[in-house]
Amino acid sequence: MAKKISGKKKKLTVGLIVIYVLITLLAFACLYPFLNVLACSLSGYNPVLTGKVTFYPIEFTMEAYKQVLGRSTIWVAMRTTILVTLLGTALSLVLTIFAAYGLSIQDLPGRSLMTGLILFTMYFGGGMIPTFLVVKGVGLYNTLGALFIPQSISVFNFIVMRTFFRELPDSLQDAARIDGASYMQVLIRIILPLSMAVIATIGLFYAVGYWNSYFEALIYIQDGDKYTLQLRLRSMLFGSEFGSELGASVDDAGAAVVLPQSLKMATIVVSTLPILVVYPWLQKYFVKGVMLGSVKG
Amino acid sequence: MKKRSRIEEFRRTLVKAWNYKWIYIMLLPVMLYFIVFRYAPMYGITIAFKDYNIFKGVFGSPWVGLDVFKKIFSNKNFWSAIKNTFVLNLTALAVSFPLTIIVSLMLNEIAGVKFKKVTQSILYLPHFISWVVVAGIATNLFTMQEGSINAVLQRMGFQPIPFLSSEGWWIFTYVICNVWKEIGWGTIIYLAALAGVDETLYEAAYLDGATKFQRLCYITVPGIKSVIVTMLILNISKMMSIGLDAPLLLGNSKVMGVSEVISTYTYRIGIVKAQYSQSTAIGLFQSVVNIIILVAADRFAKAIGEEGII
Repeated sequence: MAKKISGKKKKLTVGLIVIYVLITLLAFACLYPFLNVLACSLSGYNPVLTGKVTFYPIEFTMEAYKQVLGRSTIWVAMRTTILVTLLGTALSLVLTIFAAYGLSIQDLPGRSLMTGLILFTMYFGGGMIPTFLVVKGVGLYNTLGALFIPQSISVFNFIVMRTFFRELPDSLQDAARIDGASYMQVLIRIILPLSMAVIATIGLFYAVGYWNSYFEALIYIQDGDKYTLQLRLRSMLFGSEFGSELGASVDDAGAAVVLPQSLKMATIVVSTLPILVVYPWLQKYFVKGVMLGSVKG
Repeated sequence: MKKRSRIEEFRRTLVKAWNYKWIYIMLLPVMLYFIVFRYAPMYGITIAFKDYNIFKGVFGSPWVGLDVFKKIFSNKNFWSAIKNTFVLNLTALAVSFPLTIIVSLMLNEIAGVKFKKVTQSILYLPHFISWVVVAGIATNLFTMQEGSINAVLQRMGFQPIPFLSSEGWWIFTYVICNVWKEIGWGTIIYLAALAGVDETLYEAAYLDGATKFQRLCYITVPGIKSVIVTMLILNISKMMSIGLDAPLLLGNSKVMGVSEVISTYTYRIGIVKAQYSQSTAIGLFQSVVNIIILVAADRFAKAIGEEGII
């Protein structure tokens, strides 16, 4: 019965097997809702109606996607969201890099005052209505600018990036300065190339944030043609937008009947797909980014 | 003599500042952003003490002292929103906090690098999904008539469960959605702490004949104790704040009694009903209570010998 205990390798005990099983179940529980959504969006009328669809499509059909992608509103919303995400991420990154670089210079006169002003906003703010009135006051109400300009800098991301910049070796920057490089040149030629990982992480955090945000659109946007994807999705999922549609699609000669539920699920897939596509790339970096953020100060 | 050196010092600072002029130019848009979008709204808080009139604006509206606060404090919906905020936050914390630690401990035991990587990636994924989508999926799974879960229950001969339309079950659904979305993400910080526990301690304990459970109780848990305590204090300090998305999107008129929290109440009073002064007053009350809890939690953390959270 004597078993060889090999150095650091763990023995496969009953406890360990239980852990593997539980973690597998948990991972499945995290994945199942996505699979269910995907399956529902690809299944026929009857299986969805009777709730038979679990995690694989029954009576496979692409009809729901044909109808969802045939709606102009979703394309308009998609375009708006892509535009806001691109502009917002660019602005956020530039401002965060400027803030983090400038305020990582130890003997900059006024550094602690400016840093203090920024950090204070983590603990106290004007709140929903005063912010709303300011956004309205500067003329951003019902413009796409309202969707990214008022929340372009996240203090948390600023802290992460500043921590990273501070840890870069000073000698490189000093050498460049002595050779006559300007601060802008130091930032572009030395700091940025060394910080691509953290910039990618924070850029993707910002991008996901803009892609997913719906509250700003809810309070700042009035015109339907400026709706973002999340706002459109909300009115499709919880409003009556699809309920009335059902009758119309029956009237269409040739168009197959699709449950509103399948349409909703297809819409979810379409609007989440970009996140799922960038996710594997994103997750390489973010754990490191999160850890940097927890080192405050 | 003293005065001259001070002038000299000031002159030198100015020269230094001039050398940094490009840095200031970079910081200009940043500070402008904070002044316009973070500090100007703080001035706007004054409308909590005014009778805000859309034509007179923030500056021109007449002062009314504490009248607005008297009005909101005498409204029972306000107190109900505060109670609901605490109930939802505490229930979610009571479930997700221990669960996150347990999952972290389990993940830490896994030796297979590939298995660990894949499961972690899957567990982190829901964090990146918008609340609109999560609420949409939840509605699809949990509704009374067409919901997949109730369909299964009924096929098995059970009564359907009103997950979204009865107040008690709604809290359950809210907590499940929160746990589903954030449990994996929450493990990151514990896994980092677990990776920092000294490996030689385990070897020494193993040689002394400590069982696996003993090693867990006397090495692993004490090793991450300070992270656990800090996370708990941090979470408790956020008791008064609650995200607006989840209660607003999952909630419906049938469960308003438990789903109306401070953030959704502020939204409904302010944006939907356009009662700007009242909504601002509620927001200010919330901020002040938040700061009090935060400072108290920070003092407490320092008193028990942990790191502060501010």
